[in-house]
Amino acid sequence: MDVLLDEEEEMIAESARGYLEANCATSLVRKVEADPLGYAPDLWRGAAELGWAGMCLPEEHGGSEMPLVYLGLVMREIGRTVAPLPLLPSAVASITLARHGGAALKDRHLPQVASGEAILTWAFFETDARLRPETVKMTAREEDDGFILNGRKLFVDHYAAADLCLVVARTEAGLSLFLVDTDAPGISTRELVTLAKDRQSEVNFENVRVPREALVGQAGDAWPQIEEMLDLATILLCAQMVGATRKDAEMAFDYAKVRSAFGQPIGAFQSVQHMCADMQIWADAAELLTFEALWRLDQGLPAAMEISQAKSFCNDRLEAAVRNSQIIHGGIGFMMEFDLHLWFRRVSAWSMRMGTSLEHRARIAELLLDSPGQVRLGRSVSPAPAVPVTPELTEV
Amino acid sequence: MNFGYSPEQEALRSEVQTFIRDNVTDELVEEMDIHSGTDRPRGRGPLGQALYRQIGERGWLGIAYPSEYGGQGGSRIDQYIVEEEFLRAGIQISMIGSGAPAILAAGTEEQKRYYIPRLIRGEVSFCLGFTEPHAGADLANLRCSAVRDGDEFVINGQKMYTTSAHVSTHIYLMARTDRTASKHKGISIFIFPMDTPGLTVRPLWTIQNNPSAPKFTTYGAARTNEVFFDDVRIPASALLGEENDGWRVGSMGLNLDRVGAGRYLISVRRDEDIINFLKSDEALGARLSESEVVRDKVAELWTEAQVCRLMTMRSMSIVERGGAFSYEGSAEKVWAPEHGVRISESIMQMLGPHGSLLRGSPHSVQDGLYAHNVMGSFQSGINHGSVQIMRDQVARRGLGMPSSRGNKAAGVK
Ligand SMILES: Cc1cc2nc3c(=O)[nH]c(=O)nc-3n(C[C@H](O)[C@H](O)[C@H](O)COP(=O)(O)OP(=O)(O)OC[C@H]3O[C@@H](n4cnc5c(N)ncnc54)[C@H](O)[C@@H]3O)c2cc1C
Repeated sequence: MDVLLDEEEEMIAESARGYLEANCATSLVRKVEADPLGYAPDLWRGAAELGWAGMCLPEEHGGSEMPLVYLGLVMREIGRTVAPLPLLPSAVASITLARHGGAALKDRHLPQVASGEAILTWAFFETDARLRPETVKMTAREEDDGFILNGRKLFVDHYAAADLCLVVARTEAGLSLFLVDTDAPGISTRELVTLAKDRQSEVNFENVRVPREALVGQAGDAWPQIEEMLDLATILLCAQMVGATRKDAEMAFDYAKVRSAFGQPIGAFQSVQHMCADMQIWADAAELLTFEALWRLDQGLPAAMEISQAKSFCNDRLEAAVRNSQIIHGGIGFMMEFDLHLWFRRVSAWSMRMGTSLEHRARIAELLLDSPGQVRLGRSVSPAPAVPVTPELTEV
Repeated sequence: MNFGYSPEQEALRSEVQTFIRDNVTDELVEEMDIHSGTDRPRGRGPLGQALYRQIGERGWLGIAYPSEYGGQGGSRIDQYIVEEEFLRAGIQISMIGSGAPAILAAGTEEQKRYYIPRLIRGEVSFCLGFTEPHAGADLANLRCSAVRDGDEFVINGQKMYTTSAHVSTHIYLMARTDRTASKHKGISIFIFPMDTPGLTVRPLWTIQNNPSAPKFTTYGAARTNEVFFDDVRIPASALLGEENDGWRVGSMGLNLDRVGAGRYLISVRRDEDIINFLKSDEALGARLSESEVVRDKVAELWTEAQVCRLMTMRSMSIVERGGAFSYEGSAEKVWAPEHGVRISESIMQMLGPHGSLLRGSPHSVQDGLYAHNVMGSFQSGINHGSVQIMRDQVARRGLGMPSSRGNKAAGVK
């Protein structure tokens, strides 16, 4: 038990921060907001040289098989500089491919992903954009040599930048995952205009043919793999939110020390100090919840509870933290030329992605209340075991 | 980072659990209840002494304290595990209070050799004599005086809210030794026996004392007291640290006193209780557990309770690495007490009128546990540095915010 960063983790975080602070000024962030490509290719190439694209991929495919906690630290630093990089979708889709894809698919694509030459994304959400299997209406009709995809996906992250997309569709056997070329015939897209001014697309599939080898895992019954993918995207997004909120909050702390009113720095007013104290406490809490969940994933422990705790907390409290920051900044924080909104808009937008607080708390409640046995903090509550357990102090 | 316990630590935990199942009786818990309001001989009773012998033999006392002073020189996490398990059984074996850490930091060799082993074995216990009628949050305003007279000090004045003064063997006192110095400069710390002539203890009954709150409620049936000093003569050797350096010495222990198993459990016990109640066969619990609104609330509060746990783990990790807090202990002392209040208030609105019934009432829920907690939970946000003062500390020490012209607080408390 030692929840603080160890030396190697400090090094990972520091080197990521060093690279991004040197290479990702807010002028670049603003430029990319207006660019349909949606990411900064030079910045991405440098990041790939540092090994970020393949951090958690197998060594045999050019990755470095690092723990997810390390990737979480990098995501935190990306959030800190709101760096326009497609690492989140590419890492999530490629890790899923590495875990469940066939050898041929992996051999063909993963080395290119690890080197940063290929960018991956994934497509799950549709009109009913909740994290539930029944929301998927998109179909994959089986034909002798493959499948034919029909349907519409929404909120696909960095689709314009991606070479390949892991698409969730419904075959006769049930939910399945397919790796699809982003420019396959029959695909059309429309760009969404988002609060974060990042690149998210509506992607329409009209009789899109994919070969049988494009199937990742088995046809049907892929919900466990899909849920794992969604959980990974959720918790890495939390790490990014934590980093963004830290920087946003620090801007408020610094501003409060230099901005004067009534003859003293506004940071000397107790009401301002207490807003700042809360921001720090919330960010600390969000970070602890997030990294406990990532650590559990690395240990192979059940982490559904911890992931939902982290995301529901981040949604509510980090949003409150960046809102405090806006208030402390007064009018200037509302101005386009002032950089604060780069963080504020993103944290706000991310709090609506990958599960609302209500959705995540519904999952927490299920795990807490619909499982047998008594609860005790510090003991993991995992999905209901098949055998009844004794009520007191059971490690289920 | 590592959020788990080692196999050895898991084994220690189950060993302690087994010991408690086999050895801890209701009579023992009752005898050792430092919160009991009744007057009784100071120090440990016979059952408590036997318990301390048994757990001492197992190496479970003072685990993280230096071995030259009767500890095990072991890990703070191990000590935390033992403390948590005993607290869950209703027994306080840790030395709550800032006395021991302050003695280790500022005491003479003689004081360390005398007090630390006795504190570890439970033979000596301190009550905290800081607060006065006119010195609460603004502690440096204290008036209780200690005047040097040859090899002695003579104490006169009054302390207030001195919890457990009626059962403790010693007092850990903050008093003014130099009236001419500025507010924070003329203060010193003393430790001396409660049976010193001229010292009187009078009970202060709290809103939790009638009817007496059930076990495990926040500040349960704690009895606090007024302590009066009327020409109390103590030897100069009772001085801890340098004369007039008491503000600094006093602050050494307080941060540690704000964190640990006790503070953590006080804030999260109701979270476990209400969820287990909702999962029980009780008609009310079963009905509530089907409400979407209740489920959403419970999940939110459970997440907050996890933050209490994680902040405690962070504090333990900092201590284990031998580091000092900058603001983390204060942050925990804001979050956990306020969570304790939020869970209490939420449960009120879940239970409705049944939730208002106190201990002993017909139809009370779990013997009034939740109703009493409504009264008790607020207390945690006041003592040992109120949440406002703790936020000052997070902002000023943690974030480097400037002091205002009118508010120089954020000191020792
Ligand atoms: C049950 C119980 C047990 C206790 N046990 C002990 C004990 O064993 N030993 C001991 O020494 N003391 C003990 N205390 C005392 C406790 O530490 C004090 O109550 C606490 O320090 C607050 O002091 P006060 O009650 O005088 O309130 P005040 O200092 O009068 O404060 C009243 C309110 O004003 C706020 N306030 C004060 N200053 C500021 C500021 N600068 N900025 C913003 N808000 C401010 C406070 O936060 C609080 O909300 C105990 C108290 C209780 C109720």
